[in-house]
Amino acid sequence: MRVMRKKWDIGLIAVLLLLSLIPEGIFMATGRQMNTGSTYAVVQVNGETYKTIPLSEHRGTDTFVIQTKEGYNRVVVRDQEIGITEADCPDKICISEGFISKPGEMAVCLPHKVMIEVRSNDSAEPDVIPAH
Amino acid sequence: MNKTFRIIILGLFVAQSLVLYVVEGFIPVPFIAPGAKLGLANLITVIALYALPRKRDVCLILFLRILLSTAFAGGINALLYSVSGALFSLLSMTLLQRTGRFSLIGVSAAGGIFHNFGQLVVASMVVENIKIMLYLPILSVAGAGTGILIGITSVFTLRHLQKLPIYKRLQQI
Repeated sequence: MRVMRKKWDIGLIAVLLLLSLIPEGIFMATGRQMNTGSTYAVVQVNGETYKTIPLSEHRGTDTFVIQTKEGYNRVVVRDQEIGITEADCPDKICISEGFISKPGEMAVCLPHKVMIEVRSNDSAEPDVIPAH
Repeated sequence: MNKTFRIIILGLFVAQSLVLYVVEGFIPVPFIAPGAKLGLANLITVIALYALPRKRDVCLILFLRILLSTAFAGGINALLYSVSGALFSLLSMTLLQRTGRFSLIGVSAAGGIFHNFGQLVVASMVVENIKIMLYLPILSVAGAGTGILIGITSVFTLRHLQKLPIYKRLQQI
């Protein structure tokens, strides 16, 4: 009788622990889409919004050139990433930033006052720990 | 049976549970995950679950303890977490005990797991982020661990409690 009950107990705890992995599994399965769920890039020139490009739905490669009186920047949108590949500015810092895709990332060309920022439509903070 | 006897016994259970709750606050616990703690006060809940015949009394002890412990330590947020955890754990323990298939230790471990589950449900509603649920596996392991420890302690306590003449009277309240 005693041994029987022990078996039931171990089974119960094992089942409950396995069940607790369900959310983990759901997030793993849907996590990739959730993270890049609704990102978009804002291209600003001289502080004013020049273009808004939805990133998460974007497929393929698009290229456009931002021409200002200081010079030009070639912007490439490649799938869900955006980056500056070519510019005639002296420092080329914007190119060294590479392709950006995560909310909050930025590529800035200071001499031309061009700024690309990735933003997210998700209002929820990514990392919240309950204060308890 | 005697109304006064019942009030005294329930009062004793609540008082002991409250003392354990306060004492637990003094014990430093390593940080495993947010919300993970020993849950010493649940020792009394488990003992009451097995020593008292009526589940209504167990429920009363648990919720009186939570109300009083909120007055002593912790704010309205802690109350919210405690109540949801208590509801889930008490309900699961009562049902599992009623099946008669599981030993006290197994019931207590399940209670620990469900307690943390209930807290996480409320936590994810409070911060409006379902991703809190990712803490569930680690909190379940912690809950099972503390639940087993509480269960073992309850078994020993009940074994000694049963030797007391008063234990028979407990069965009749």
